Amino acid sequence: MSNNNDRTAADSTLGNLSGWPHSQYRKRKLDVAFTGSGSEYFRIWIVNLLLSLVTLGLYLPFAKARRLSYFYSNTLIDGQALGFHGDPWKMLRGFLLLAVLTLAYGFAARFSPLSAMAAFALLCGLWPALWRAGLQLRLANTSWRGLRLGFTGSSAGAYAALLPLYVPAALMVAIQSRLAPGDLKPGDPVAAMLAFSMGASLLLMLLMLPWGVARIKRYQHGGYVYADQQTELTVPTRRFYGLGLKALLLTLLPLALLGALAAIAVAVYKPLLFWMMLALPLAYLLYFALITPYVSARLQNLVWNGTASELLQLQSDLPARPLAWLTLKNWLLTALTLGLYRPFAAVHTARMRLQAMSLMVEGDLDGWVARQSVAQDDAAGDAAGDFFGIDMGL
Amino acid sequence: MSVAPRLQLEYFDGRSARPQRAEIQLQDGQLQLACGLLNHQYPLGSVRWPERQRHGQRQALLPDGGVLSCADAARWDDWARASGLRDSLTVRWMQNWRLVGTALAMLLAVLLMAWRWSLPLATEATLRWLPPALEQQIGSQALAQLESHWLRPSELPPAEQDALRQRFATLVAQAHPPGQAPAYQLHFRAASAALGPNAFALPGGAIVLTDALVQLMRDRPDAVLGVLAHELGHVRQRHGLRLAVQASLVSALAGLVVGDFSALLAGMPALLTQQAYSRDFEREADAEARRCLLAAGISPRVMLDFFERLAQQRQHAASLPIAFSSHPADTERKRFFSEPP
Repeated sequence: MSNNNDRTAADSTLGNLSGWPHSQYRKRKLDVAFTGSGSEYFRIWIVNLLLSLVTLGLYLPFAKARRLSYFYSNTLIDGQALGFHGDPWKMLRGFLLLAVLTLAYGFAARFSPLSAMAAFALLCGLWPALWRAGLQLRLANTSWRGLRLGFTGSSAGAYAALLPLYVPAALMVAIQSRLAPGDLKPGDPVAAMLAFSMGASLLLMLLMLPWGVARIKRYQHGGYVYADQQTELTVPTRRFYGLGLKALLLTLLPLALLGALAAIAVAVYKPLLFWMMLALPLAYLLYFALITPYVSARLQNLVWNGTASELLQLQSDLPARPLAWLTLKNWLLTALTLGLYRPFAAVHTARMRLQAMSLMVEGDLDGWVARQSVAQDDAAGDAAGDFFGIDMGL
Repeated sequence: MSVAPRLQLEYFDGRSARPQRAEIQLQDGQLQLACGLLNHQYPLGSVRWPERQRHGQRQALLPDGGVLSCADAARWDDWARASGLRDSLTVRWMQNWRLVGTALAMLLAVLLMAWRWSLPLATEATLRWLPPALEQQIGSQALAQLESHWLRPSELPPAEQDALRQRFATLVAQAHPPGQAPAYQLHFRAASAALGPNAFALPGGAIVLTDALVQLMRDRPDAVLGVLAHELGHVRQRHGLRLAVQASLVSALAGLVVGDFSALLAGMPALLTQQAYSRDFEREADAEARRCLLAAGISPRVMLDFFERLAQQRQHAASLPIAFSSHPADTERKRFFSEPP
């Protein structure tokens, strides 16, 4: 094989720098390590924050670029760090555009419901395109072993993935607007109808949600590219329903428990009700601190374990319970330190999530070459993703 | 510089995932890269240099898509220092605990200043810029919303309403120079038991007074005037709109600090500052009420009866021991209204 000849020649000149035993070419597990430290990120964060505040937010894109560079240079896949190629000046452009739009929307929303509605509809219409642009930009600005990652999902695909969930949401908004206060009296058949259809759309939303998430993830994870490898998500939709069902049960269980406790309180000892009222916000926080990470851990595993290309197989073995406890601890400490613990929390979470990941690679990575150079400079999409909290789910 | 220091590292050409052993040095303002038989040169300014950190690998991004990667960060840092590559000011700042401590102190100072001065100033500017018609619209929408849920038409005799209206108009005229009184509209409404004896001001100048409050103070109508003057204080200072504008500014600020972490956590400072600001607003409105009463020749002490009856009412109404209702602020307010002029 000419490749092998190349290799031995190269090995002798390169001092076996990249040499792996040839027998292990077939399949190799690449571990992901995260080497960032909370105290160092704390220092970066404080200075970034101060500069962002005194520049009235104009420094934010530079802060973001530094934050990503830090996390990337500490994310080692098989000993090689990720590279961040984003240009903060381009990010600033996208950021300004989005800041103007958001401010306009904020004002519109506060002072005229109609214009807010129009702006909201426009945003909903643009949202899939922005989301795709954000994914594309983020991946195009990420490299590993000198090769840029890529995202090949089409705009049409983004709309097809997101639009189904718009249907029940639009129904609910429409019904809500018909339920204008003052128009309807209790006992009114129209009101009953509307309330019923509201419930029906909510149910529809719940029923559709796992399917919708499956579509979204299939689009997202079907578009990742590295060298000539294009990934695909091969998880059947029913497994998303399984996860949704678990989440639902975990939500209903505490609610039922609370209801039972309240019933007992009313029947036996009324002052207990008062203490329950006091504890309710705490229970609410606790619920979100535990359930959200639980579901997101399960989802990360489900999705990444089902993501593979011809020669690459991604794996995620993130334990849900430790992540839930870590999240709870992070919330508590962040609240107790008035936010100062936040950078430590970010580092700890990144470590747990990233180190649960690994890659199985078939063949010799050294032979992989870039498909083509992808240049993207639509920073608005990236800023949009950041603004609205959409990311790669890692 | 006789011998430029060299550094051995891994080089990726951006087209292949194969790492190649290479050697770099800085010479004549250029980065010289020697890789096997190849030699590349890049102007220093065209290379994206890594920032010095304690952790992580160093990667320099070359303009042609190539990447220089050095897993041994300390070796890179030694080379960079010896080659005369200087850390940016920001990096030196971030890598020094003492300077970071200073930054933290400055951050707290900036936040404190923002809370104390910038935020009210920014709110003031926004308020000045907003057209009054908009405020009217928000107010009437809010009133419509309240009417559909909690308010019914008043059951007070029209004569009683007119008398109160008249007396309040006189008081307002006495307390303000001609033409300076803020525009207000007084609405009498019957309210559900949850609202009880109550009065509130809405953006745009609407003041809502519940029947229960008028009935509670029927033998002390001057106290009702005091309550109305308090609400007029809110109207005059545009407190309703001010709170709304301030809330959006605070949540934007909080979003900057912990926003990408948790929306819930970001909401909390907004809520807390809101409380603090609205306490200030209540004090301002109380001061206005006191001023108006004095101007109309009424003793501010009439308000003491009102606070006492309100406290009694609360005790009767609350079947559950609700700890929050023991307003410590009540004593402060009583003291304020009983001070001699």
